[in-house]
Amino acid sequence: MAKILIVDDDPDIVESVTIMLENNNHKVIQAYGGIEGIEKAKAEKPDAIILDVMMPDRDGYEVCRELKSDPDYRDIPILLLTAVVSQIPSTSYTHRMGMETEADDYVDKPVEPGELVRLVERLLQK
Amino acid sequence: MVMNKIKELHILVIDDEKIMRDGSERILKKEGWDATTAESGDKGLELIKTGDFHILLLDLMMPGISGMDVLKTVRQTHPDLLVIVITGYATIESAVEAMKNGAYDFIPKPFTPDQLRIVVRRAIEKISLEREAELLRLEREKSLRDIANEKSRTLTIISHMADGLIVTDQEGSIVLHNPAVTRMLGLEKKAPPGKNLFAWTQKKELSSMVEEVLKSRDTEYQGTSMELALGEPPGSFLMAHSAPVRSAQGEVLGSVTIFHDITCFKELDQMKSDFVNMVSHELRSPLGAMRQKLSLIVDGLIGDINEEQKQVLARVKSRIDGLLGMITNLLDLSRIEDGRLVQQKERVLLPEIIEEAVELMAQEADGKELKFDVTVDSRISPVHADRQSMETVVKNLVNNAVKYTPQGGSVSITAQNCGDFIEIKVSDTGVGISKENLPRIFDKFYRIRNEYTRKVVGSGIGLPLVKAIIDAHLGTITVKSTPEKGTSFTVLLPRGIS
Repeated sequence: MAKILIVDDDPDIVESVTIMLENNNHKVIQAYGGIEGIEKAKAEKPDAIILDVMMPDRDGYEVCRELKSDPDYRDIPILLLTAVVSQIPSTSYTHRMGMETEADDYVDKPVEPGELVRLVERLLQK
Repeated sequence: MVMNKIKELHILVIDDEKIMRDGSERILKKEGWDATTAESGDKGLELIKTGDFHILLLDLMMPGISGMDVLKTVRQTHPDLLVIVITGYATIESAVEAMKNGAYDFIPKPFTPDQLRIVVRRAIEKISLEREAELLRLEREKSLRDIANEKSRTLTIISHMADGLIVTDQEGSIVLHNPAVTRMLGLEKKAPPGKNLFAWTQKKELSSMVEEVLKSRDTEYQGTSMELALGEPPGSFLMAHSAPVRSAQGEVLGSVTIFHDITCFKELDQMKSDFVNMVSHELRSPLGAMRQKLSLIVDGLIGDINEEQKQVLARVKSRIDGLLGMITNLLDLSRIEDGRLVQQKERVLLPEIIEEAVELMAQEADGKELKFDVTVDSRISPVHADRQSMETVVKNLVNNAVKYTPQGGSVSITAQNCGDFIEIKVSDTGVGISKENLPRIFDKFYRIRNEYTRKVVGSGIGLPLVKAIIDAHLGTITVKSTPEKGTSFTVLLPRGIS
């Protein structure tokens, strides 16, 4: 059992991700925005973070950059979640920005329960 | 004064001797010339004032006003009148004096009819020569005036045109330009004649384009076009069309470049792209959330469901997937149109991509018992392309072939080298496309509506996206189709440097 933080401004996404992970016996902490996400990451020190990219207050890239630049939180693996997808890789923000912000992995929304659990478990093994 | 017709030639004889007057009149009229007589200088001058004479036969020795005085007077009042003096003395002195005073010729008295005829005929010849010369001069003046008129008319049109115009010689020096282009390019002053295009406009891409046009040796070459963005950030956009001007022998003499303001069009296009982008994002998020929550039920994470419920929900899920796919296509299409498609080209091997696309559709094809026939030449060259864009192209074409081919049909995919190109052909034995629909299949959002397509989920974006990608890779796509028989798409892509 691991402690996982989900950060997304869409409550439906937060809820569905929570159910998917809880079903696999993980403890889930919820945050509904970038600022809240950083606060909870620092307060709870989760084992992994699932982070949405497009959020109104602080976007996922900023949150990711901030955590990755802090030696205390640098080692928490981050999975970027985004809806911005494209069939053309050079324009796909997920891919490019994910690499630039040192996120550990990324996945396009919507994500299948099995896929999400698989990705999270892979992150936890790192 | 010019005579228009030789028939209207009038001769006046002034002589105080009646016998001379009558004799001369008779000789002249016999020749068909019109002759009038006067017995004194005064009478003669009176007639000249009112009449229209061309030749004057003038006796020098007369009572009253002398012939020499008459000569001096008419030289003043009628400089065109040819005067032939008749001198009874036949002395050189009086003849010379008369000539000095502007007489055209002289005839000594007494003279024979022949002598008179010769002298008059010579005068008439001079008149007709003068008249011809005058006509020529008038004609030349008229054509010069016509040219000047035509030139000013053309200049007026050019300078009032809303579109900009620049004409250069073969060295790229400006020969002509209109005020519109000065305004459009945001230049303060008009170009000094002979100034180099680049020196005047400071637009490298523009002068490069004109140079390319001037260098063209191919007589079939019709010129080229480009878009110019002006200002930083761009505030206005121009479409520039440049074409060579050739001599009859086909030699390039210069260039003509027309500038059309497309700012308005670009703004509308941008608004449209922004709108599509906005709508797509706003649609995508809720759909994504719906899809994800639906998974919870379908996967039984929040309680058990029976098989029938599961099947219904699985169908709902697949419809949502269709919508999400369409939105992705829409976004990609608007990206390509924005020019935001920054291509990361690499060496791409098409056989791999074709294989992947076939695999992806295998299940659906099996379900319809389609015969899949893939023939890829192993010697096929790699292409220099954006990998994922190529995947989109192949996937869309294969996907369409499978979707629009009924149960038991066949789909064939071939790839081979074809000169400097790679040829990919995707053919099917499907429903086909009618002649009326064929030209429109690459139009955005265009979907063929018939009994068959009604059952197929589609967005009307796949083929336009395919075409946009192929265009961006400098390739071509063509289609052949027979309704009820099948369709065949042929893509040609430039070969990559291996």
